[in-house]
Amino acid sequence: MKNGFRQSMAWLHTWTGLLVGWLLLLIFMAGTASYYREEISRWMRPELPRSTVDADVAAERAITFLQHKAPQAESWNVSLPDPRNPAMRMFWRNPESMVKPPAEGEKRRRRGGGRFGDATVDPNSGQEVAARETRGGDFFYRLHFDLHYIPVLWARYLVGFCAMFMLVAIITGVITHKKIFKDFFTFRKDKGLRSWLDFHNVSAVMALPYHAMITYTGIVTLMFMYLPWGVSVAYPKDEDAFFSEAFARLADIDTPSEGRAVALPIQQLLDSARAEWKGADVGGFTLYHPGAANAVIDIQQRDGKRLSVDTPSLRYNAVTGALLEASPAAGGATQTRGVMYGLHLARFADWGLRALFFLSGLVGCLMVASGVVLWAVKERPKHAKSGKIGFGLRLVDALNIGAVAGLPIAFAAYFWGNRLLPLQMAERSTAEADVFFYAWGAALLAAFIWPKRMMWAWQLYLGAALFALIPVVNALTTHAHLGVTLRSGDWVLAGFDLTMLAFGAMLAYCGLRMQRWQPALSAAGKKRQAAAKAQQHAGAEVGA
Amino acid sequence: MMLLAITVSFSAFTALSLAMDRHQADLHGKAAATPTRRRAWRWLGWALLALSFGLCVVDHGWAAGPVLWLGALTISGILIAFGLYPFRPRWIAPLAWALPALGLAVTLFAR
Amino acid sequence: MNSTPNASWHTRFTAVFARPWLGVLSRSMAAILGGYALAATCAMFFAVALPIARGQAVLTGMLVAIALCACAALWAFATRTALRAWVGILMPTALFWLGTAVMRAGA
Repeated sequence: MKNGFRQSMAWLHTWTGLLVGWLLLLIFMAGTASYYREEISRWMRPELPRSTVDADVAAERAITFLQHKAPQAESWNVSLPDPRNPAMRMFWRNPESMVKPPAEGEKRRRRGGGRFGDATVDPNSGQEVAARETRGGDFFYRLHFDLHYIPVLWARYLVGFCAMFMLVAIITGVITHKKIFKDFFTFRKDKGLRSWLDFHNVSAVMALPYHAMITYTGIVTLMFMYLPWGVSVAYPKDEDAFFSEAFARLADIDTPSEGRAVALPIQQLLDSARAEWKGADVGGFTLYHPGAANAVIDIQQRDGKRLSVDTPSLRYNAVTGALLEASPAAGGATQTRGVMYGLHLARFADWGLRALFFLSGLVGCLMVASGVVLWAVKERPKHAKSGKIGFGLRLVDALNIGAVAGLPIAFAAYFWGNRLLPLQMAERSTAEADVFFYAWGAALLAAFIWPKRMMWAWQLYLGAALFALIPVVNALTTHAHLGVTLRSGDWVLAGFDLTMLAFGAMLAYCGLRMQRWQPALSAAGKKRQAAAKAQQHAGAEVGA
Repeated sequence: MMLLAITVSFSAFTALSLAMDRHQADLHGKAAATPTRRRAWRWLGWALLALSFGLCVVDHGWAAGPVLWLGALTISGILIAFGLYPFRPRWIAPLAWALPALGLAVTLFAR
Repeated sequence: MNSTPNASWHTRFTAVFARPWLGVLSRSMAAILGGYALAATCAMFFAVALPIARGQAVLTGMLVAIALCACAALWAFATRTALRAWVGILMPTALFWLGTAVMRAGA
């Protein structure tokens, strides 16, 4: 196509980047926020107590809770508390016979009446967490691949499509970037188009392994949905067998026996697992057929040093404590996929590594943002001759403002909503999500009405103000504000407030630069300026 | 040790940038260093990169270690390219000496 | 010019298809639809052809297919004509498809 390989790759890079750039910004920003989803959830439920109890005590309280709440369930699944998440999540599956048909218009998954149930339990009290209803950081996590308001299946295909475009954009970007080593550290500021290009290049190259990894592994996480045909040709009759073989899973569970028996104390079972693993800690467990004589417990190892998302598990007879089986060794492809999935989720990351992942994600957002802005900057001179901005450029300008400056407004608004919406309102978490989209919609609308430089500045300043005031709103509405959290050393909550201030400062700086920016003079303009200066000097000499 | 790894990679990148004409010009006016000098910077830079890789693996193992190393490179590179060369080029050389010293001090005292 | 009223209907017809944006559209379809088809058949072929455990072969096929899809997009725009773009993508797709059929028949 066109002339030359590099040129056609440059063309492809421009269009794969531009066409999906705005949606990619949403995906990237929400995904980057997800690195701290637990911390965000904690900040959004300040009522949650901080201290963590011993894992075994927590497990015991979980069992007691489940015996009370879901005694008839086929299985109980419990995630034990960890440093990042002090509450316990538990899920249970009710037998088919228990499922009531949904009432008119009611959503299927209602607690207690549906097939599945879940609860978040405070290990200190053994009771369900009494905190405001919110999806917390999970909203961002789901947003970045399930989007919102559209069926999940459509969303995932759309996100996968964008991810594929992004992968092509990354590869073509590297091919096109001729001076990738020479310009490795090059960022020439205050030079208009040159600066935008330098910024785009450096932000892309400095985190290039990250960008390539996160995009490819993102597609890998949903690859069973995108490419199911491999499974169906290799396993024409028993697709379930694929999943057991591919994920080194334990075998399926038998039906419950008629007889009842009391299971061993959970601490004993967890200790057996720890002994078997020579010290590695327990992340959670699933108890099948609680109360039955053939109750079985699968104990999962905690995510730790290994990159892979698949952690080993052990199966015990819950009544006798006998070890029944261990998860089989994983094959090469299973391990590869596990590591790729693990790299994407970064569950293994400690606080330092997590911060670096977060930083890399932010750099990715800057890369995409500078890319879409760069296109507009490059395109604008072509419209200068006619004096009127064409339809395409106007559209891109509006979308740029609405996405690059509008999305931060939406993110900040979400946190404002969490603090300001009435605690007892119905469908509160849905309302919080709606706040995000109302804010984003307003920003997009404003951008479409007036896609000019001042709109950039106003939206950036608005985003800055919204972010910087979050700690203030926090102080006015809760007892978990900086005055308290800094003193008590609660770095999760304090860190959140401080990060909000930092984002506010960054956005304010960007707004200032946008406001103060002077367009570069054309050659004729420079002549006029020089002539005016000369006249001024002449006038001064004459002593006018 | 993570801080030491990050600061060493900062110095590594400083050295590698000094091996380039453009950044020599940024710091010292027209390409101040001879080709021999620049080659020395290049060797030093790569050696420091290898050192920082080693530190990451020692600290986080062979699985998370390389991941950490790439993250260290990202933060160092961003700091140098977006923060220092455009705004405070005079700070680069002193920081390249001071930061690893700081990292070493933190590592030794944290033990 | 080819679109002048004096040119033959044949020349005017082919002139329509010479419009640049059609070439871009054609290549885009080859990259997107053809690329997806290539990825799908690649995953299928690897799943039945690799001489390793079934589950592992399926996984390997999927992982490779993703990369192959990206390569197809590059090919679609790097190659000289839109026709070559389609041929270069559909031929391996057909081969993978046939290969899968052969392996399944033999199994």
